[in-house]
Amino acid sequence: MNTECVAMLLAGGQGSRLKALTANNAKPAVLFGGKYRIIDFPLSNCMNSNIDVVGVLTQYRPYILNNYIGNGSAWALDKVHGGVRILPPYMGQKGGRWYNGTADAITQNIDFIDRFNPKYVLILSGDHIYKMDYSKMIAYHKSKQADLTIAVREVPWEEASRFGVVVTNDESRIQEFQEKPPEPKSNKASMGIYVFNWPVLKKALIEDAQDPNSENDFGNNVIPALHNENKRIFAYMFSDYWKDVGTIDSYYDANMDLLDESCDFDLTDPNFRIFSNNNSRHPQYIGPNAEVSHSLICDGCVVFGHVEHSILSHDITIGEHTFIKDCIIHTGAVIKDGAHLERCIVGPRGTVDSDTRIVASENDDPSQIQVING
Amino acid sequence: MKNVIGFILNIDGENTDLRPLLEYRSMSTLPFGGRYRLIDFTLSNMVNSGIKHIGVVGSYKYSSLIDHLGTGKEWSLSRKTQDLSILSGFSSVRYGNSVKISVRDLYYNEMFLNHNPETEDVIISAPNLITSFDFNPAYKIYKTNNADVTMIFKKIRPSYSINKNDVFLDFNRYRISDIHHYDEAHSDYVYADMMIIKKSVLMDLLEKANATGEWDLMDVICDNIDTLRIFGAPHTGYLSRINSMQRYREVNQDLLDFDVMEELFHGEHQIYTKTKDNHPTNYGPDVSVNHSIVGSGCKIEGKINNSVLFRDSKIGKDSHIDNCIIMQHAVIGDHVTLKNVILDKNCTIRDKATLIGTKDAPIILTKGRSL
Repeated sequence: MNTECVAMLLAGGQGSRLKALTANNAKPAVLFGGKYRIIDFPLSNCMNSNIDVVGVLTQYRPYILNNYIGNGSAWALDKVHGGVRILPPYMGQKGGRWYNGTADAITQNIDFIDRFNPKYVLILSGDHIYKMDYSKMIAYHKSKQADLTIAVREVPWEEASRFGVVVTNDESRIQEFQEKPPEPKSNKASMGIYVFNWPVLKKALIEDAQDPNSENDFGNNVIPALHNENKRIFAYMFSDYWKDVGTIDSYYDANMDLLDESCDFDLTDPNFRIFSNNNSRHPQYIGPNAEVSHSLICDGCVVFGHVEHSILSHDITIGEHTFIKDCIIHTGAVIKDGAHLERCIVGPRGTVDSDTRIVASENDDPSQIQVING
Repeated sequence: MKNVIGFILNIDGENTDLRPLLEYRSMSTLPFGGRYRLIDFTLSNMVNSGIKHIGVVGSYKYSSLIDHLGTGKEWSLSRKTQDLSILSGFSSVRYGNSVKISVRDLYYNEMFLNHNPETEDVIISAPNLITSFDFNPAYKIYKTNNADVTMIFKKIRPSYSINKNDVFLDFNRYRISDIHHYDEAHSDYVYADMMIIKKSVLMDLLEKANATGEWDLMDVICDNIDTLRIFGAPHTGYLSRINSMQRYREVNQDLLDFDVMEELFHGEHQIYTKTKDNHPTNYGPDVSVNHSIVGSGCKIEGKINNSVLFRDSKIGKDSHIDNCIIMQHAVIGDHVTLKNVILDKNCTIRDKATLIGTKDAPIILTKGRSL
């Protein structure tokens, strides 16, 4: 059976900088925008790009993630041939081991990819919030007769030294890679999205696995090696909305972008839907004295208090005489009568007692985001 | 609940003033409470009580039923084990009191009833009951009394407004001694449109009805009341049978009472429905929403009070929605005033329109109307 392109989604990361939000949960399964989880974005992008074989590589605390992905039907990825396949580390006759780097995770699943005999392999990560039609990137890859195409975006020059940047020539062919350079020669940052010709990648992975000094990482090992072999490596410019949500601050900002009318990131566009996997819940109940404004609220919530400029996930109870402003509240949280919260993230099933009072202007640093554990 | 099958069929007929809302659908799929269809309650109650095989009779307008139920997956009913059967229904017309339980709906679906020879008991229920109900206590009463029929009933409160389709029960100790319609003297016990009946007894009664040409299983039971062991099982807690516009409005209003909401949705059991993958509801910067039920996927920029808003509706800027039921996919423009209005699915209201009904005579816009 032949499939033109197989997507491999690296979803094993812990995301330790998200602290309490990833204590029991892999980062790709962290809630976003109320009802979504981060992995909804790459999976929905695949669906919208007509890519219907997606291998999801899981490792760190995969229970919620595996349960959430299920058979992939939420993203119309429950195909007879292909669809979503969850690929955890496994044992073989020669033993088994954890995935040891991003490239190693793919190396251990060469057999999976070979079953589909693809021309191209798309490598994705479960760390970013964006809408992208990968089929356009694949078309670009073909038109450049590339061996590898890397999606890049322009970042402000002053921030370029925080990223892995690429230096390109007039044809967008990559001349040089710089990893977090003190003096960047380019502001085109890699987005961690790669299209490889499968035979080229397969050979590179096998060689990389034989190198005892390699960290088995795409960015540090496999791609530089291909560059040294003078393979055709191109940059694909992407200029639409794209947010890394690897830290509490960036996670908070990306969520709040959904409440910003001027932000051109629309999750309700019927031509490019972001799907998610939802249970059936009762509709929202807004109580007699409730005040709700400028917020996103999901099913199963019961609101009796004041909610302003906030995002409420499923099954949350907001008690009477509460004041909730600029907050992100995760599923199943209970905010008891009288609590006052500003600029907080309340983790899944967190409980906030009546006498809790978190007021941004009273903090040493008013911009700080408080995280209340679930 | 092993060897028990569920049978859901339209009970009050469709001769009600709900007709404008039933133009394209049967009673089973009348939208309710922001995201549900009426049948979700009965179906979920049966599933939650452990009934594994359920037949649903579609009336002659059953495309909405098939669309809603699909394979039954959302109620944990599996196609492989034939948990859900959609059965054909027969339109029945009779003068006078409407048919409570159509003999023909049962008789012509004999194949379903006899599909599994091990089936001993049948639970027959209406699809229009808003309640969270566990059949197990009633089934226990049925079993311990070795009953032929056990009818679930509700003791009515003085404030209860009698509907012309109500059926009342008289008791002789725990046994039911008479079953009669509203126009005769009524007792304090109203039949809750749910019964448990022995399959062999049901088959026997159906044969009798077929021979005599009776239309209504209730009449057949009544005719044989002296020879059958008929018991009652009480329904406590919230129950509303939606069979008139007044009841429909009342029960939507009841849902705004948090105690009712909690009983229906926060109990041990869940009410399942077809899920839609919608964006969370977006409340705009200058909105005021209170005492309302809101479905997902809405975009609200106006004021909403004392209303039920279904999924995927849009309410424009400076619009006032008061005491309304707005079904899914409504598009309401800016500066609109709606009071005591029921909008069926897919209605559009242009900017600056004003529609004011009264509590007793709400304005009803049928499916897909624009104004």
